[in-house]
Order: sequence, then C-alpha cells, then structure tokens
Amino acid sequence: MTETPVKVKSGSAKGNFVGISSLIVFSVLLVCWIAGFASRLFAVIRFESIIHEFDPWFNYRATAYMVEHGFYKFLNWFDERAWYPLGRIVGGTVYPGLMITSGGIHWLLHLLNIPVYIRDICVFLAPIFSGLTAISTYLLTKELWSPGAGLFAASFIAIVPGYISRSVAGSYDNEGIAIFALQFTYYLWVKSVKTGSIFWAASTALSYFYMVSAWGGYVFIINLIPLHVFVLLIMNRYSHRLFTSYTTFYILGLIFSMQIPFVGFQPIRTSEHMAASGVFALLIAVGILKHLQTVLTKQEFKRLFILGGLTAAGIVFMTVVGLTMAGVIAPWSGRFYSLWDTGYAKIHIPIIASVSEHQPTTWFSFFFDLHILVCTFPVGLWYAIKKINDERVFVVLYAISAVYFAGVMVRLMLTLTPVVCILAGVAFSSLLEVFLKEDQPITQKDETEQEEPAEKKLYDKAGKIKPRKHDNNKNENKGLGSNIKSMVVIAILMLLMMFAVHCTWVTSNAYSSPSIVLAFYNQGDGSRNILDDFREAYYWLWQNTEDDATVASWWDYGYQIAGMANRTTLVDNNTWNNSHIALVGKAMSSSEEKAHEIYTSLGADYVLVIFGGVIGYSGDDINKFLWMVRIAEGEHPKDIRESDYFTERGEFRVDSEGSPTLLNCLMYKLSYYRFGELKLDYRGPAGFDRTRNAVIGNKDFDLTYFEEVYTSEHWLVRIYRVKKPDEFNRPSLKPQKRSGFDSITKKTSKRRKGVIKNRPVVVKGKRSTIKAN
Amino acid sequence: MKIVNSIVFAIVAFILITADVEGQKKQANSGGISLNEKVQQLLDWNAKKSVLRLNGHKFKEYVKNAPRNYSIIVMFTALQPARQCIICRPASDEYTILANSYRYSSAYSNKLFFAMVDFDEGSDVFQMLRLNTAPVFMHFPAKGKAKGSDTMDIQRVGISAEAIAKWVQERTDIQIRIFRPPNYSGTVAVIMLVAFVGGFLYLKRNNLEFLQNKQLWALLAVLFTFAMVSGQMWNHIRSPPFVHKSQNGGISYFHGSSQGQLVFETYIVMVLNGLVVIGMILLTESGSQSDTRKGKLMAIVGLVFVAVFFSLLLSAFRSKAHGYPYSFLFK
Repeated sequence: MTETPVKVKSGSAKGNFVGISSLIVFSVLLVCWIAGFASRLFAVIRFESIIHEFDPWFNYRATAYMVEHGFYKFLNWFDERAWYPLGRIVGGTVYPGLMITSGGIHWLLHLLNIPVYIRDICVFLAPIFSGLTAISTYLLTKELWSPGAGLFAASFIAIVPGYISRSVAGSYDNEGIAIFALQFTYYLWVKSVKTGSIFWAASTALSYFYMVSAWGGYVFIINLIPLHVFVLLIMNRYSHRLFTSYTTFYILGLIFSMQIPFVGFQPIRTSEHMAASGVFALLIAVGILKHLQTVLTKQEFKRLFILGGLTAAGIVFMTVVGLTMAGVIAPWSGRFYSLWDTGYAKIHIPIIASVSEHQPTTWFSFFFDLHILVCTFPVGLWYAIKKINDERVFVVLYAISAVYFAGVMVRLMLTLTPVVCILAGVAFSSLLEVFLKEDQPITQKDETEQEEPAEKKLYDKAGKIKPRKHDNNKNENKGLGSNIKSMVVIAILMLLMMFAVHCTWVTSNAYSSPSIVLAFYNQGDGSRNILDDFREAYYWLWQNTEDDATVASWWDYGYQIAGMANRTTLVDNNTWNNSHIALVGKAMSSSEEKAHEIYTSLGADYVLVIFGGVIGYSGDDINKFLWMVRIAEGEHPKDIRESDYFTERGEFRVDSEGSPTLLNCLMYKLSYYRFGELKLDYRGPAGFDRTRNAVIGNKDFDLTYFEEVYTSEHWLVRIYRVKKPDEFNRPSLKPQKRSGFDSITKKTSKRRKGVIKNRPVVVKGKRSTIKAN
Repeated sequence: MKIVNSIVFAIVAFILITADVEGQKKQANSGGISLNEKVQQLLDWNAKKSVLRLNGHKFKEYVKNAPRNYSIIVMFTALQPARQCIICRPASDEYTILANSYRYSSAYSNKLFFAMVDFDEGSDVFQMLRLNTAPVFMHFPAKGKAKGSDTMDIQRVGISAEAIAKWVQERTDIQIRIFRPPNYSGTVAVIMLVAFVGGFLYLKRNNLEFLQNKQLWALLAVLFTFAMVSGQMWNHIRSPPFVHKSQNGGISYFHGSSQGQLVFETYIVMVLNGLVVIGMILLTESGSQSDTRKGKLMAIVGLVFVAVFFSLLLSAFRSKAHGYPYSFLFK
C-alpha cells in the first residue's frame, strides 16, 4: 500500500543520465501519488463514498449550492435555513477556496462530458490534493537541498499520518487543499529568493492568494516569510534578489488577500499582519541605506546610520503602538494570543480551551503522527544549519516555528508535518548518500566531485547498485567497506519499512472513521455490524416533515441536519452566536414546561436528541449535557446553575441518586422517554443505560408538551414534535396542579410574573428599614 | 529619651484601649449584642482587613447566633506549618484575593462578609460543624440554615479565586470581579535575561565570532526541537507529577494511557530522541572521515545507536498505545 522511494537501477552512462533521472523522478512521484491516494481510501472501501463528520457537511452543502446556482449567487448567499430565525450570511463568512476548487473541477469535467456527481468530487478532493502536496514538497526540497532529498520528502508526506489525519477521502475540509497551497507558496517563495525574479515573486503572491481563499492558516505564511526576510537582514544577507522578491510579493499578496470577502480589510487592520508591513518598511530602509553607503563617505554614513536608524525605528514603533491604542489596528485576537501566552486561553477563553483540538501535544501524539520522522528531522535541521544559505534559513525558521506551534496545539501538527518530511528527507538522503555511494579509487572520486556541483548528486535515490558492489573488493581498505555499508543500508530500509507499516496501521485504525456511520464488531463471531441510525433519522426528517419545519438540536448536529435532512436548524457548528446557542442549551436544561416556552418562542417544530444508552455510544447528548448547562449558565446565570445538576457529593449521575433537577430536565426526559420499559438483557433490569452503566432514576413519566415521532433502530437518534398550544394533554394533570400550568399562555404568564414581583417588595421593605438604622 | 517615653506611653495606651474594647465587648456579649452593633462591628473590622479572622467565640457570636441579616462566607483552614496542610496556603491566598476584590469593588456592602477560622484558633468550631478536612468554604446565608450546596465542592471546581467567586455568586447573587495584583515576575525575568545577554555581548564585543558558529546555533535549534517533540510544552501547561507512586509502593515512570504523560517520562523520551539523532549524525559523518578505521567505528556506533534507541522509543510508545502491533528488537 505504501511505498518508500523506489530504488531503480540506474545506468551509469553519463549521456542519458538526465533522461534516466527524470524518469526516476517521474515514476517515484507517480508512485507517491498513487500510494497516498490509495491509503486514504480506507473509509470509502469499508463504508461508502460519504462525507465525514460535521464541518465537511457544511462545505459540501455550500459547494452543492454553488454548483447549482453559480458563483455570484454563492457569494451573496444568505442562508435562511441556519440559525433560525437569524439566518447566516454564508458568502461573507467562509473561505471560498475549497468550494471554488471542487466547483471548478466539476465544471471542467462536465465541459469534457464526463458526468461526475459533485459529492464524489468532494469526497475524493483531499486524496487527490495529497498527490499535489507531495509534488510541491518535492519541488521545495529540491530547491532547498537536492532532488534525492526531495523524493524522500515527497514519499514521506504522501503517507505520513500527521497529514492523512486531515485528508482522508470524505473529510472535505479546508486543510485538505490548504497544505498543498502552503507548500507550493513556500516553493515559489524560495525560488523567487534564489532567482530574484519578479515572475516568481508574482507567482508566490498568486499562490498565496489561493491559500488565503482556502484556509485561515494563511496567517502562518504572512508571518513566516517576513520573519525569513528579517532574519536574513540580521544575518547581513541583504541582496537585491531579496528586495525584489519581498516587495513584489508583499504588495501583490496584500492586494490579493483583501479580495476575499471574509478577510476584507484585516491585512491592514489587525496585529497579526503588522509584522509583514513592518518588515516591508525595514527592507526599504535597508535598501536606502545600502544605496547611501555607496554615495557617502564612511564617516558620514556612520553618523547617518545611527541617527537615522534610531529615529526611523522609533517612529515606526510609535506609529504602530499609537494606531493600536487608537483602535485603528486591532490587537492580537485571543486565538493567536493564546499561542504565545500559553496560560491565556485557559483563563480567558474557556470555549477555545475546551476544544480537544486546542490542547497541547504529548510526545505520544508526535510519535503517533510522525513515527521515525520525529527523531530524524533534527538531523536534517542540523545539516541545514551547518550548510546554511539564504533559502535554508527559511526551512530552519519554518521548522522551529512550526514545532513550537505544534507543541502548543495538537491541531497545528498539520503545519509541522510538511517541514518534518522535508528535513527527514534531507537526513535520510545525506545518510544514504554516504552508504550507497560506490567506493571508487580516491583519485577518480575527487575528480568527479569537482566536476559536479553537490546539488546534482543523485546517488541516494538512484545509486543502489548492488550488483556492482563486488567490484569494490579490491578497494576494501579504502572507505567503509561493503559489509558495514550493506548492514547500514538494510537497517535503514527496515526502519523505513516500519514507518510505512506504521502509517498504514494508524491510517486504518485511527483516521478512517466517518463518524456518521458507526461500525462495531460482534464479540462472538467477529462479524461487522453497521449502525446507520444517523442517516436513517435524517432521511426520515427529510421525507416526513414539512419543507419549512425547524429542527432544534445541539449545535454539533446542525450542519448534518442541514446537509442531509435539508431542514432549518436553530444552531449549527459555525458557533458565531453564543447567546443563541445558550438559549438552546437553556431549553435543554430546563423543565419541560419552560423548554416548551423557549422552543415556541424560537419557532422550533421538532427536537432532535442523540441517545447512546441502548448501544453504549459514548458521544451522545447526555454526556455532552454539562456543556449545554455551562454555556446556558454563562448567558442566563439566574435560571441555570451548573451545581443543580450534580448530586450533593458533586457527582453527575443519571440513576435514582441523581439530582432532581437533572432527572426532570428536558434533555433527560427526551433521552430516556419510554426507556424505563425497555429490557436490553434477559438478566439485567429494565432501563439500564449502557453508556453510563446505570439504571436510570426517573423511569415512569409522560411527556406533556412534546410528542415522540421517531426513534431510530438503535435508539441513537430520537425526534420529538413540539406540540402546538391547543394539543396539550391536560386531563392527565391533577386539578390542583393545573392552575400552575395555566401560565403557558402569554397573558397569564405575565400575570404570574407580577405575583412573583410582589413578594420581594415585602422583603425589600424589611431590608430598607434596617438600612435606615 | 523623650521619644522612648512617648513610645512606651503609646503602647500602654494602646493596650489599655484594646483591653477596654474587649471589656466592652464582654459586656455586650453577656447581654447579646444587637444586629446593628454586629454589622457595625463587622464593617469596622472590614475596614482594616478584608478577611475577618474569627475564633470560636466570635464565630458563635457573628455567624451562629440569631439576629443576622448578612451572608457570611467562611473559610475553615489550618495554616500552621505543623498541620502540614499543603493546599491551605494557596487556597487562603486565592480567598484573600477574592475578599480584596470584593472589599474594593463597587458591590461592597454590608450584605456579605468574608471570614476565616483557623483550626488552631477555633478547633471547637471544627468540632461543632463536624469538619475533619481543610480547607472548607462554607456559606452561611442571611436567612435559614446552610444547605449541602452551601459548602463549596473543592474537588470539582478547584480553589481558584474565580471558582470561589462563581460559587459566591450562585449562593448570594453578588457578582465579584476578580482583580489580581499584577504579576511582574515574568517581565522582570525577561528584562534580566535581555540585560544579561546584552551585557555579555557588550563585554565580548571585540570577539563576536562565536555568533557565527554554526555548530552552536545548530545545537540550540536541535535542543529546542527536542524539548518540543518530547512534550515539554504539555508539561508546562498541564504541570503533571514527576513520577507516579502507586499504592503498593512501586514507582511508575510512564503514564499508562496515551492521553497523559509524566515529567520523567518526557525526559527519557527526549534523551532517546537525542541518541537516535546522534546515531544518525555519526552515520552520516562516518563517510567523510579521512581515517578509515575511525570512520568504520563511527558507522558501527551510529548504527547501534539508531537501531537500539529507536527500538526503545518504539517500545515506550507501544506500552502506551494499547493494541499497537509492531515492535523492533525489543518487545
């Protein structure tokens, strides 16, 4: 399935050397592409061609909309089916690169009369782009080191789990294409620094434009490239090539990036982009000074340098600080700030800190995602610094910054992976260059080395020439000797083989679950069962509810309901409006009566809950429930208190010892409605929740304001209808209780508010007398 | 001499006055002081200290006894070093921050007071409330008896001032914005470092070649990557224990699951990574040695390093990833 660089016998005839080596490059890259594509197909083969998880469903829906209605309609798309009743301006709040890419492919294929359904393009987009990533990694490494290292790097990135985790078939997300754009931009940048040509610099800006349109991670580029320029200036490596390429790139890139509606004026108004403009000014200042140096005498220049330099630096600094203080430039946003001050998010942005992707990274995850590369890429870093030049400064800075970010956030492992592949490629390439080279008589060897520049050596990939080894026996006392060499080569090949096996194992076991279709294995015969409850339920919604029905659910399922059931949702995974989410959370955590009030006011027709108690699915709504309570408490601290949902001893439990507030809240009732009658086992008691291993505490209850309309085969998805005010099942209530429920209609509820208000008035009177004393 | 006299006089006068106050208080206590006096007294104390220090007697008077229209939050703690309560000191600091934030905020009123009881001053209170742990935060509402939720659950919410403030808001509806005294230690450390490096460079200004030393820079960069890939940032943010002590006295150096790690474990991983890298460098350098025997030795040592230490790393990984099928040289 996976492939380390293919060792092909090379002809030694110098004449067709170029032809053979380009054939090797071509075939290795082709194999990389195929291997990378194939190893991303586990999910498609095991399940089917299906979009995964949550966010990809939105991307897919947006793409389908664009293909159907055209690009300009898409840019102006106001989605009234999300965030009901608010709606969402989609065109201005997405990075459209992904949709445009797959829409473009769709358009092209249809132009050629190849009818492909847009969903299949979306599913296979990321695996196809992984091949392009491998090629651009090859090009970048070739510019930085040698073609041999490039081939190694390309084969690594094709199969490394750190990148596969975001680009399996079906995970239709921004990162899938963004890593290609990232690597290609860096390749063009290195190329333009090397040549100093405006053509390459403009291409860099274009590629940067594509990156900006695809992913928010473009901020990494617009900070890394200025950092590269800055460090080169400090190292006294200023050149006209640098000046041309950076100024061209910066101006064009700035203008291009502002064309994306979602980015807008950010590049000139936020602190994240200020480093780039600062370096731009600095570079021009250095350029002027270098020019003056040629005009003025040494003494004059020195005075000017000190005076002018200090004033210029002071002015720039004061301007930036002043503009920030005046509010023209926004300060660092919390998300970026938390990368520097690692304790920041924990205190100030609990929502960011709570997401598992934003946790720091253990050594285990590094090894899991990179395997042998994690302990070989420092070798590449070592040699890149030892043999430093302009473009290698870039890869060193790239490695150091990316490894820092990856340490702070698991999610940023994705940006580390490409540079790790490059440097590990360098390490393996320079190692095998030593051990695969034939031992030639020393005089000859020296001649050939002088003839060829170091970059052109292709021994490492091309040169495994086993049959010719025994020719060298006569030279055994020179060099390392063929025994040691073959031992080392075999050991290294074994390590690389283990890497390939590891990658396949990780991809297959950890990164290939669509999470919308679940699979589990029977304990007895090992046969595989498929749980298709999610799609079953969404299909039911699609077929059995009115077209304009509104479905309330927790935000995790918003995109899926919109994408698969095509129904209006209250909240979804684009969590832009916290108070709306809090309102839904509040409804879920209040009593049935209050929840009905909230849902009626929001206009919800159905309520959907995910319940895993029957099959032991741990990601269900009861397990997420505390987050709903917390978020609701953040906005409505008067009505919802987290501590009410815990027992006296601070436990969260659903059995009879659980807190009464929990046992009577809407989420509990909707999840466990009729569950008390269900016997899962012959021996076990009725109403035994397999996820939480407990017999539920509140078994016997009826729903007054909601009506169960659908429960999927394994009870995973349960859908309830919100009753209209004239449908309540009032006779079931005892007469003396009934008065309390009269307050449902708005008029009476107002009157009841008045009653409550009256009571505190009495108390107030008492207190005020004390105050007077 | 005069000065000494006056100081002595002042001290004597102070003692007399305080004694007098005590005496007055005793008189008042015998009859039970009224609500207004109590509130006034508490406000007076609060003017001096934001956390009121109560002993057994005062606790009964101001917290237990009946006429009371104010809520009071009490921290029961044991601050004496002899009690060996490790968490009490930081808990008390956080509590003081909260009390200070309240004391100097606009929400300050006579509806809520913060107090504390030290075990060594009021052990009878501990007995009365049947407390056998410390610290405990309890809320005594203005009306009615303290319920179960009037005791803060330290296990669940922790002891940070923010958590206590949230709980206080839950119980009393008084919102307190935490104002922490700014911590300058980080800034000072940075300034010190910059000054140190700057001074060093200035002293060595005539001999700056070492800045051009690629080996040095390469070493620094590689060490930095080792620190990052061995999860030191995780340690910094999560501060895990150094090693685990299990119940039966054994010490485990590796965290059992893939979700966590111990400090010692990350050091082992860092060293293993480093040795693999050294092995790789030795292998690569062995080709460019002029002395053949030295080159051969380097190649062999390098090969052994890479194979052995990578296998060790792999088995460490395997011990954490349950069900991982592959290993090399070692199980």
